[in-house]
Amino acid sequence: MAHESTDAARTLTFEIFRFNPEQPEVEPHLQSFELDETPYMTLFLALNRIREEQDPSLQFDFACRSAVCGSCGMLVNGRPRLACNTLTRDLPDVIRLHPLPAFQLIGDLSVDTGVWFREMHRRVESWVHERAPFDPEAPEERMDDELAQAIYEGERCIECGCCVAGCGVANVNPRFVGAAGMNRIARFMTDPRDARSDEDWFDVVSTEDGVFGCVGLMACHDVCPKGLPLLEVYAYLRRRMLGAGLSRGGSNELLQIEAA
Amino acid sequence: MSASPYDDRVPRDLPDLTARPAVPSARSEALRQLFYELVSGVSGGALALFMWGHMLFVASILTGERGFDWLAEGLEKVYVAQPTVFAIALLFLVQAVMASRKIPAQLHERRKMREIAAQLKQKPSLPANALRLKPHLESMLWLWQVRTGMVILVLGSFHMVLVGIDVLTPLFGERTGIEASSSMARVGAGLWLLYALLLVCVEFHASVGLYRLAVKWGVGSRLSRGTLLTLERVIFVSFLGLGLFTLVVLAGWIDPPLALLLESSP
Ligand code: HEM
Ligand code: SF4
Ligand code: SF4
Ligand code: FES
Repeated sequence: MAHESTDAARTLTFEIFRFNPEQPEVEPHLQSFELDETPYMTLFLALNRIREEQDPSLQFDFACRSAVCGSCGMLVNGRPRLACNTLTRDLPDVIRLHPLPAFQLIGDLSVDTGVWFREMHRRVESWVHERAPFDPEAPEERMDDELAQAIYEGERCIECGCCVAGCGVANVNPRFVGAAGMNRIARFMTDPRDARSDEDWFDVVSTEDGVFGCVGLMACHDVCPKGLPLLEVYAYLRRRMLGAGLSRGGSNELLQIEAA
Repeated sequence: MSASPYDDRVPRDLPDLTARPAVPSARSEALRQLFYELVSGVSGGALALFMWGHMLFVASILTGERGFDWLAEGLEKVYVAQPTVFAIALLFLVQAVMASRKIPAQLHERRKMREIAAQLKQKPSLPANALRLKPHLESMLWLWQVRTGMVILVLGSFHMVLVGIDVLTPLFGERTGIEASSSMARVGAGLWLLYALLLVCVEFHASVGLYRLAVKWGVGSRLSRGTLLTLERVIFVSFLGLGLFTLVVLAGWIDPPLALLLESSP
């Protein structure tokens, strides 16, 4: 609690990226705001106060303010983070906020992660492909507890886009599925209810837009606010794809490519 | 039919993957990508392991010219040295071609970074402690891996041409083959500068490359990333240290410290 007294004493300077695509004549710039720090202040609180007290035109997104909805991702002093679970007392006196890169800018700190994620889900076909027509009368199949946990772990992604924004590859290649996409793929790959075989996955995953686009920068893993094991996810996909490529005559085809 | 939870937002006629006929071109493209990835990883890994062996050979100069010549001649007599030079040159080329497939994207990225940086320039004046941007470690390491790779391409090619001439022609020194006397003469005459640069680049590139390889394939998933990173640093520092020391001896600035070993056992 030693923090609180110092918290209250600080005056924070916010350097906030401003640009409204509807007003292209105003060049993108950083605007500063000053704010006295209050105990346990989050960036969510700070931004709302700035909008209420200083500039009602400031655009940013929030919904849940508890790290669940994934709408408040932004660059905080250069790092992708959730504004709602970032305490100002963990930050220096000057806090610089930018919108997440790699996504379409809506204005100021607000970006459209939805378009990116929708396109990713469409390509990954990120829903269970059932083996047989759904029979509502049949009892549900049993699942191993450990497996259920693993699938649940993959479902914890809140689609905040931090991993995408922090990834050098995703910033350059808009088709790259990114860590969030790889996490999605791994989630369905491990699901026994999903009918897709490794062979089916191979064409989508063993590509430059899939797992082999990733050069192992590890930023995704380091910035994910939900602490998803993204490093393990992509190593797992690589090994699965190696297996899929080598199995069932794949190794012969591989040799043909070598010869060609 | 599988229902998409996103049906309200995307067209309804989404292809059903289970019902879709295999697309041969997509499959061979996927196989090609897997193949490239394997070739670039295996060639990089093999080169890194070779560089460790290479370090031990060169370090034989620490026992004096006799030790170095004895080893070099031995390897040449049984025709190990000559084919190795060419095999490594081949691997080197393969690695350069395969690994640099990732680089063009990098150039785009730099342009992008420059754009962002240009935007930031219009900032109002900032207090000194404002820019507390922490670059992301592994991302920076990757950038430097690309940069050192380019230096290695140039200096390493030059080095391999020299050694190729050494093992095939009597042009340098008294006989066909690698000799301590001619190596020391040219290193002392100024080549040490190039070699020192090449050494730093290779040791950095190889240790970071192995680290990344381990993380990428999850080889090290039993070891924590911190442990792997420490391992990477230990490898980098030890090989760099040994390499620089060897270079100093090779340049003739200090006497071989282990020469005693060979003198006492003729
Ligand atoms: C000929 C000049 C070279 C160039 C231009 C080059 C370039 C590169 C680049 C750009 C990468 C990153 C590729 C990626 O992330 O997928 C890389 C990876 C790597 N390089 Fe090199 N390199 C060269 C020589 C070498 C040498 C001599 C060694 C060994 C000492 C080596 C060992 C490695 C390793 C182990 C990796 C990691 C492979 C991976 O992550 O898949 N490279 N190289
Ligand atoms: S994986 Fe993590 S960083 Fe990426 S979108 Fe999901 S919650 Fe966000
Ligand atoms: S490891 Fe790096 S390249 Fe791969 S998805 Fe994560 S941030 Fe991107
Ligand atoms: S407001 Fe929902 S995650 Fe931050």
